[in-house]
Amino acid sequence: MTVLASRVGVTVFDIPFLIRGRVIEPGGDGVEFGGRVGARFRTPDARAYADQLVLADAGALQDLADTPIDEIIDFLAELGPRLALERNPLMQAAFGLALDAGELTEPILRDVYGQFPALFDRHRLELQVEKTVGKAYLDGWVEQGRAGRSTTRVRAIGTRNMHIIAGNVPMTAAVTVVRSALTKGDCLIKMPSNDPFTATAIVRSMIDVDPDHPVTRHFAVAYWKGGDEAVERQIYRPSRIEKLTAWGGMASMKHIQKYLVPGIELIAMNPKLSISIVGHEALEGPAAMQEAASGVAHMAGHMNQTACSATRVVYVECGTDEEDLERLEEFGQAIHEAFFQLPESESTIPKCPQPDLEEELGAISLEEEFYRVIGDAASAGVVVSRTEEPVDFADRLTNRIVNLVPVADIVRVTGWVSEETQTVGIYPESLRTKLRQDLALHGVQRTLPLGATAFVYTGEDADQTIGLPHDGTEPMRRMVRWVIDQSAAPA
Amino acid sequence: MAQVSASVLDPENAAGWPAVPFEVLFGLSRQEVEPVQQEVLVRRFEQLRPVVAALDKLATRQGVDRLAGLDDVVPVMFDHRVLKSYPLSLIEKRQFDRLTGWLDRLTSVDLLAVSLGGLASVDDWIERLDAAGMILGHSSGTSGKLSFIPRSQQEWPAWRDAYRQMRVAASGVDTVSETVPSFAPTYRFGHHMSIKQASLYSSYEAAGEAGRHVLYDYPMSSDLMSLAGRLRQAEERGELDKLAIDPGLLAKRAQLIEASRHRDEDLQRWFTKLAQEYQGQKVWIAGVSAEMTRLALRGLESGVRCQFSPDSALLTGGGMKGYAAPDDWQQRIMDFYGVRRISSLYGMSECMGTAPRCTEGYYHFLPYTIPYLLDADFVPLPRTGTQTGRMALFDLLAETYWGGFISSDRVTMYWDDDCPCGWKGPRLGPDIARFSDIEGEDDKITCAGTAQAYNDFMDYISGI
Repeated sequence: MTVLASRVGVTVFDIPFLIRGRVIEPGGDGVEFGGRVGARFRTPDARAYADQLVLADAGALQDLADTPIDEIIDFLAELGPRLALERNPLMQAAFGLALDAGELTEPILRDVYGQFPALFDRHRLELQVEKTVGKAYLDGWVEQGRAGRSTTRVRAIGTRNMHIIAGNVPMTAAVTVVRSALTKGDCLIKMPSNDPFTATAIVRSMIDVDPDHPVTRHFAVAYWKGGDEAVERQIYRPSRIEKLTAWGGMASMKHIQKYLVPGIELIAMNPKLSISIVGHEALEGPAAMQEAASGVAHMAGHMNQTACSATRVVYVECGTDEEDLERLEEFGQAIHEAFFQLPESESTIPKCPQPDLEEELGAISLEEEFYRVIGDAASAGVVVSRTEEPVDFADRLTNRIVNLVPVADIVRVTGWVSEETQTVGIYPESLRTKLRQDLALHGVQRTLPLGATAFVYTGEDADQTIGLPHDGTEPMRRMVRWVIDQSAAPA
Repeated sequence: MAQVSASVLDPENAAGWPAVPFEVLFGLSRQEVEPVQQEVLVRRFEQLRPVVAALDKLATRQGVDRLAGLDDVVPVMFDHRVLKSYPLSLIEKRQFDRLTGWLDRLTSVDLLAVSLGGLASVDDWIERLDAAGMILGHSSGTSGKLSFIPRSQQEWPAWRDAYRQMRVAASGVDTVSETVPSFAPTYRFGHHMSIKQASLYSSYEAAGEAGRHVLYDYPMSSDLMSLAGRLRQAEERGELDKLAIDPGLLAKRAQLIEASRHRDEDLQRWFTKLAQEYQGQKVWIAGVSAEMTRLALRGLESGVRCQFSPDSALLTGGGMKGYAAPDDWQQRIMDFYGVRRISSLYGMSECMGTAPRCTEGYYHFLPYTIPYLLDADFVPLPRTGTQTGRMALFDLLAETYWGGFISSDRVTMYWDDDCPCGWKGPRLGPDIARFSDIEGEDDKITCAGTAQAYNDFMDYISGI
């Protein structure tokens, strides 16, 4: 990657397009993007390359279909260690850009990038394939009938995929590369402006391993401003894209909606929010309060509350008379303190306080009858609601600010969740088993003990967390085409 | 001129400023005006801090005990959200005592003495407080939650004069001294500030209430506006019947939804009738830019042009709200309505002083409103040259509540008294945007989403 200083004081990063093993640097016709929050960057003009980014001929997937999944796993496993931040200048550049453009602070982001090689770990990849699609289905036709008598077989066929990925969690880029390679698909990744380089760094490193490997030859990574019709008309066609994975809800959806026609399957990774539920036990003794407070701090503080799995609202089983509210406030104080005990790889004071949130907190802190504000937007905060109602801006809480809401009858919370609610942390365990089915019926996609975030919770058997459903669906099974082959007689 | 001007602004009586002809006020230089503004500002803070609890709390937190310069007020200005910092459930559960307690902390009027027995709705509540000396109005937030502006009878004379002054300056038409019928596609009554103000003002206008023509001859329900979001949510979940809402309110809601289905047709029919009836007369027309443009384009398509007197006033504002108007919409609507100019103004319901647009397209502030421009850290930008930033206003006409508000608008301010139109006073350029809209422009994709994103999406797809 070259760095240009095109204007005084403004650094512009050149980001190449990667198209099937080729590296295309922005030349004289490069286009500049970004700037307001993150760095400015320059890429080739997507209008000139739009038709090369996609695969017009589905038959060109033959090479991947003929490559055994074990070879693909070998290839990814070889790539994994090369993604280590300390030895890969591309990953270092991606890290630097994400640091500039995103909300995450240096220690947290360093920890996130530190996890990349492990996502390409051979054992992990093997399990991921077996628990989702199944190696046999990717490599050949799997007989469905009784041995020797079967006339029906099924195979998982790779498809032409396009991914509009999220940038708030850089892991998304790695997850997308892995899922795509493991499902033998052709993959075009459109980078987000809030993480313009991680996907490029991974696929660029893949080119360094082998530019002619069938896996490499089915990746393209590019950027264009979402909504650029001259580019998008060339790409979003059922003859060129079969599956479209869109993260970020409306932000990506508004541009693609008009192209969604029968023939393009939408895999919507909708935006999510997460909550926690705390039973009355947490307010009944110092040890329990400490345990629950630390749990809430973990659920909310992880990755500084930027991810969808981060708790924003905490419903606490508690009345609203003065004595109850005092104890709730005490719990809020304990959570506030617990935020500062989190390891810095997980949570830090934010890069800068969100101005909007600071204003919101300032406005309600004048109103002590209904809210108590502990802490601030610049380090960590807790807003204690004194009625059974979250604050108006609960959906926008970030950088470790939680809203505690007293609920006398805690079971009612299950009626307030929906398909938008991804993760629910619950304390104590008895309450989790009591509520989980009702929460699941209302749309929740994961329940877990308070404090055990998905990334740290592996228990005794780490393998059990590999290949799990994602937001209630199984994306890898959706990324392939399930094809039936039948014969007149057993094969 | 300068000596005459300086004495026009009596610091003991800022409420009297709006009665001074606007030509005189716009003849004053900023250097002349600011010292007097500062004097009144300092006094407002000293008077109101002991009696407005929320101001006292903010001043204590910010460590501000006295104001010396104009900029000193910025740390103790209210964020516009302060006017809606009550839990919505108070309205849903009709806990008017608690809602009154909340409002009481924003005004020097003693609301705790008001008897609240027998109140069934927000409209009732507002009327009860009005009977006790308030002129309580609200604006509607984007979320639907109402911001309550604790204005009182004490402000009325100055407010009324400022309203008249702004209208005359913007349009050249004075509906107080001249009988001019007015047309506005809105409601006859209601507590939304703009509707409330129009109906209060009509008793003062020469044409009176009889000369005021509105599209809907009934009140706009504040309860419905306030609960619109909750009702929609409940309806989507099929739980409308569980909300314990007054059946009368639900019937009104059904009526509103029905009316909105054929609003364009109703508007056209209503307006066409008025256009015929008042042909050749001088009239006052006011409406939202997008709707007035749509109405004009439909009229022109069917070959209709209004034939009002060419010195009639057409007042529009509020932007196009996503409506793709043709580039020459201004010319087209002047053609249709048969007027020589389009009048406009910039203001917010929190502030009584509104800035009329001049012939050069700038919005000029009158001396009873002190404009501020803030940077990203809410620090005041220098009051010189041209600056772009966040708009904040201090309303010197507010005597019973705190007049300092920080808006969510990004504007460009021209501080030097050099507008080619001849008016002095700081002025805004035409490029006015909401910060929230600007922030939504970038191409960032995130997995952490909001309910709002879902609703936007539903609105989006249902709008196609």
